[in-house]
Amino acid sequence: MAEIFTRFDSAQDVVSNLRQTVSSGMWSGGTGTLTTFFTSSTQSSSNGQYYYDMYKTDPASDSTAEIQFSVAFGDRNGSGSLGQTGNYPSKAIYAQYRNLLLTPGDSKFTFGGSVDSDRIYVLTMGRARLREKMDPGNWELHLSGSVGITVGNQLSHTGSFVKLIDDSGATTNPTVNAGGRVFNIVSGSIATGTAVTKTAAASNPGGGLGLFYPDLGIIVLNGDTVSVSGSITMGSGSGTNGNNAGAMYNAIKRGEYFVSRREEQLSTTHYFCRATNQKFNFSNNPTFFTASDGSLTNASFKNDPKAYITTVGLYNDTNELLAVAKLSKPILKSFSREAIVKVKLDY
Amino acid sequence: MGYLDNTSTTVDAILTKKGRELLARGGDEFKITKFALGDDEIDYSLWDVTHPNGTNSYGSAIENLPMLEAFPDENQIMRYKLVTMPKGTSKMPILEMPIPSTGLTYSSAGQSQAISPNTKNGSDAQLGYTIILHNSDAADLTVASGGEVVTGGATTPVFLSDAERKKSISVIGKTFSLVARSTTVKIVTQITVIGNETGAVTTVPITVNANA
Repeated sequence: MAEIFTRFDSAQDVVSNLRQTVSSGMWSGGTGTLTTFFTSSTQSSSNGQYYYDMYKTDPASDSTAEIQFSVAFGDRNGSGSLGQTGNYPSKAIYAQYRNLLLTPGDSKFTFGGSVDSDRIYVLTMGRARLREKMDPGNWELHLSGSVGITVGNQLSHTGSFVKLIDDSGATTNPTVNAGGRVFNIVSGSIATGTAVTKTAAASNPGGGLGLFYPDLGIIVLNGDTVSVSGSITMGSGSGTNGNNAGAMYNAIKRGEYFVSRREEQLSTTHYFCRATNQKFNFSNNPTFFTASDGSLTNASFKNDPKAYITTVGLYNDTNELLAVAKLSKPILKSFSREAIVKVKLDY
Repeated sequence: MGYLDNTSTTVDAILTKKGRELLARGGDEFKITKFALGDDEIDYSLWDVTHPNGTNSYGSAIENLPMLEAFPDENQIMRYKLVTMPKGTSKMPILEMPIPSTGLTYSSAGQSQAISPNTKNGSDAQLGYTIILHNSDAADLTVASGGEVVTGGATTPVFLSDAERKKSISVIGKTFSLVARSTTVKIVTQITVIGNETGAVTTVPITVNANA
């Protein structure tokens, strides 16, 4: 009897639902380091009061430029932005992230050292860049008050300069609130491969530098402390456009360094497709036999048929083809050969 | 002394369009229970028994063939499958249709033709046949009474153009009925019949004359 399908023995042939964490560079092209930063005049002129989109390449000259992340400024009282009474972009931004990240009833962001702040800068990673979540302990952002000067191979900054990382390496039990896991942002570096913290969040003068929400891909910086560390001129006058998101953009651009990784959980199943010696030795490929009576086209195949495996199809009970795998080269199959093809399916 | 050849090969699978659809839908439909092996790109006429390097090189032209990556369209891949048959088999299963090889020609709407495929050199008695009418404007295709099989909507591994796919219908059974539809223009199309156990395939031209 002819057979084209072989059922899997679920106990022996299928290793299912292996959870695997995969990390990769977060920016366009899978790179982990971003050293150039651009904005779009089209975007900033239409809603730059609220946020600036940040690109790796100049969208004015590169039509394929992709948004990497966005920068916004929020003030609890609406200072630093133009608007009518009660309708200030900076107030709306503060309220938006408060609603998203804080528990109901909590009206202010509280940073390391239990310091509240009415002013925040927010970096939100692009959805396509983030995929699932940011990788805690594997990002570093530089903010600078001056343009860097390259001496030899080293980029140095003469003015105020701060390197930001999170403190996940020193945190075994992170706080979990409405925005998922939360880590403090501290000054330090991961350049050596491990996080080296310069000043712990609780010890930072004026309060912690910020909060990091890896599950949402959001970095909330304490406006009061970061503007000092990064020498960012914060326009906080009432009813005036301080262009604070633009000021943060400039500080990031001068810092010339944002390294980050993303993290995904993949569910993997392995299928062992066993072609034992008695199986799969014939083919209904039209070049294998004649259409008129089914005779094998190659006389030498009569007692010793040979077939080649190039493709593995995975089916459900109703014979619907759900997944398919191609081999890099054809595998010869005959009554004197067996083959095991291990098919890995991620989803 | 050399290294032993690995006995297993690991390959990455991709979901087909149907696989993605069923995975997104949830439920039990996305449950892989069986596999089949295919050889879509192989031309067995390249098997060269006159190769000067001897028997080990008969298949070298095939084995050196670069392979294409997998297509996610389930209708365009796994069209030709490897078949398990007893040793000594000298003839592959082929489908016989009790209709002229020149095809069926309908001259009036409502004209009916019973289609009862038969598998020669093998059997598709258990799972029956998948039959695809490429242009459903030409006729109505149904499973004949008593010709049902217990199975769902199998993937139809046959080349259909985009235009044909919009108009094609496929049914699964053992015996079928093809009834001409009313049409103001002559329609020339075909039916493809696939044995669900043997994988044997045949096509039959269909002509429905204008009205008919």
